[in-house]
Amino acid sequence: MRLKKEDLNKILALLAKNRELFVPGQVRGIKQFKLWDGETPELDGENTVLPPKDILFPKTEKMYAYKTGTETEISEIVDAPERVIFGIRACDMHSIECMDSVFIREGYEDSFYARRRAKSLIVAVACPGAGVNCFCESMGLDPDAAPGADIFLSGGGEFYGVTANTEKGETELKKWTQYLTDGDVPKGEAHCSLAPAMSPELSEKLTGLFDDDEFWQEVTEPCLQCGTCSFVCPTCYCFDINQSSVGDEGVAFRCWDSCMFSDYNQNAGGHNTRPTKKQRLRNRYLHKLAYFNERHGMELCVGCGRCINKCPAHLDIAEFIDKAAEVCHD
Amino acid sequence: MSDIQSALHKRARALLENGDVEYVIGWENARGENKTRPAFIRRAEDAERLVWNRWCVNSTAKYLLHDRWPKGKIAICARGCDTRAINRMLSDGQVKRENIYILGIPCAGVENQICRRCAHRNPLVYDELLGEPAEEKTDFDRFEKVKEMQAMTLEQRRQMWEDEFTKCIRCYACRNVCPACNCRECYADQYRTGWQGKQFNAVENRVYGLTRAYHVGDRCIECGECERVCPMDLPIMLQTGRMLMECNELFGQYECGLSDDETPALGTYNLNDADSFG
Amino acid sequence: MPVNEKWMPKILAFCCNWCTYTGADLAGLNRMKYPANVRVLRVPCSSRVSPQFVLRAFQKGCDGVMVCGCHPGDCHYTSGNYYTRRRFMVLKEMLEFNGIEPERFQTRWISGSEAGKFRDTVAEVSEIVTKLGPNTAFNERRAENV
Repeated sequence: MRLKKEDLNKILALLAKNRELFVPGQVRGIKQFKLWDGETPELDGENTVLPPKDILFPKTEKMYAYKTGTETEISEIVDAPERVIFGIRACDMHSIECMDSVFIREGYEDSFYARRRAKSLIVAVACPGAGVNCFCESMGLDPDAAPGADIFLSGGGEFYGVTANTEKGETELKKWTQYLTDGDVPKGEAHCSLAPAMSPELSEKLTGLFDDDEFWQEVTEPCLQCGTCSFVCPTCYCFDINQSSVGDEGVAFRCWDSCMFSDYNQNAGGHNTRPTKKQRLRNRYLHKLAYFNERHGMELCVGCGRCINKCPAHLDIAEFIDKAAEVCHD
Repeated sequence: MSDIQSALHKRARALLENGDVEYVIGWENARGENKTRPAFIRRAEDAERLVWNRWCVNSTAKYLLHDRWPKGKIAICARGCDTRAINRMLSDGQVKRENIYILGIPCAGVENQICRRCAHRNPLVYDELLGEPAEEKTDFDRFEKVKEMQAMTLEQRRQMWEDEFTKCIRCYACRNVCPACNCRECYADQYRTGWQGKQFNAVENRVYGLTRAYHVGDRCIECGECERVCPMDLPIMLQTGRMLMECNELFGQYECGLSDDETPALGTYNLNDADSFG
Repeated sequence: MPVNEKWMPKILAFCCNWCTYTGADLAGLNRMKYPANVRVLRVPCSSRVSPQFVLRAFQKGCDGVMVCGCHPGDCHYTSGNYYTRRRFMVLKEMLEFNGIEPERFQTRWISGSEAGKFRDTVAEVSEIVTKLGPNTAFNERRAENV
């Protein structure tokens, strides 16, 4: 099945019916996912500056409200609207699979994430052309495939190839029939700009580098310990729980956190288990490339290149992979 | 520029070979074109890794605070702005002059918009100067952008900051790169005191933005690093710029980081200061 | 938000222990009447007030903030209020630059014997802020602040 690119806005109108539809576009000069306003979404060019994770895992999410007094009242907050995420690329689709593994599949099911995820329909689109710092192919992905998406729009040219990967996607496609025609679509030609030497073997060997202080000192020295990499990362899922009270009423909420921050590893009593940038950045890199693999069977880096684009100190995870590969294979 | 680079290689190598310094902070090429990153050279044979070109945008001075009690001296490549940052930290008692060896680099400006408004292209303090002094420029208005914004109405300004602070993701890159942000523990990290809510929204972002601006505003050396590092392109320098401009208007000609022994404008007073309070 | 007749501004007054607070006390002893929408917060010296306190007050819902201390030259700690003066001369401009009416923030020098000045100042500020209406620019309860 294929879909004429001209008909895209009609499909978007269908998707937006009774639902919140998110598409890539500019918000105050920053490319990110925003509510569809009837304009043609910005599917071409560089990927969004901010990842789509905010839609499923909000920066700040209310958990419950409370009222104290002679008896404490607690009321649940359920905020999971029907949503469509349209136009995400292979890398970002895979990042959602990583978060699914964390919040739904492995161990405890996080009801906040699970509810939002269940009510979201994801339509991924073939990558139109990689950004300057992309390397998803090295992370085992194909820029023209998104097996985890409900619906995938593949290929290049005048048409999109249309495939439904899930039941939810198939049901949705039934509404699209008048715009769909038979025919093949050539494979998309986008390829990554970078090809760091990532491999499953390297992932296994990386933890062996843990105690190589000189190596980590050299790698981490320019780091400023800001949270930019974590906040633009599509897979960083750490959060912090806090309250906000006025008088005897308040709300408990959770918000994004970053392992680069000094209070991230602050223990009660004041001890900090990762006091310096060496330990913090080491943890970040190893979590992305090794630890996550041990538990979830995949890397937590999807090769989108956002952290490379935005790092104030020009640190580069792709360069790190090559450097680590060199040391590991010596 | 290449003259400076070769002089830099020679001097860095010599300093490390003689054991005069423990390491040299400068810049080295990063992967990809037109990109450098801060470099920390510890071995004489690595001295050639250092580069000096117009892509050397990162401030080097802040890294002195990452090593407050060095084993030996630290040699640091410093442009005009970096030396102002060093002066800032010396004035604030954050680093010791005897721990630093400054390799001064005259700089005609790098790939950063802020360099067009730079009044100190030559290092203000150094142990040795590499290359010939650069030509200083004065054909600009330090507060041009602040003045543009002042021409807006109150409501327009309110809306503009509302939009900007909605964009902010509070990654704290502006704080971490700033040489004037040198508190041992930032108020924003003391979350138990409740000064800074952890929520990500325009209100909390503004509390952070304004508090930071006020904390550093009268000590700002105008290096523009906060704006360069901001992943969301917030015009952070407008806030500190407005404060500096007001300090200039109220307390006379005022510029920071010009000496290693200066008191911030709001850390001192004059009996005859302007007073409109009554 | 429409300003209805019932709306009363919330005004926070930081008062220096040695002068203004004593002046406020004297106003009370003399049974002077002033608007009840001012909340007095006693501080050891007006220079104890960090600009952060002022921002925080606006964030938490105050419609006006006052910082009151001894007249310059009369500081109990010799020079505290000279610092206050510099600090808040600049803050006033910063607030205006950020889109908040500068009249919402007032600094006044009121001595221990100036009970009348305290009463008049509170009345005046209350009137100004009432005219300006609620502080919506910085107030967190207007925004989605969880």
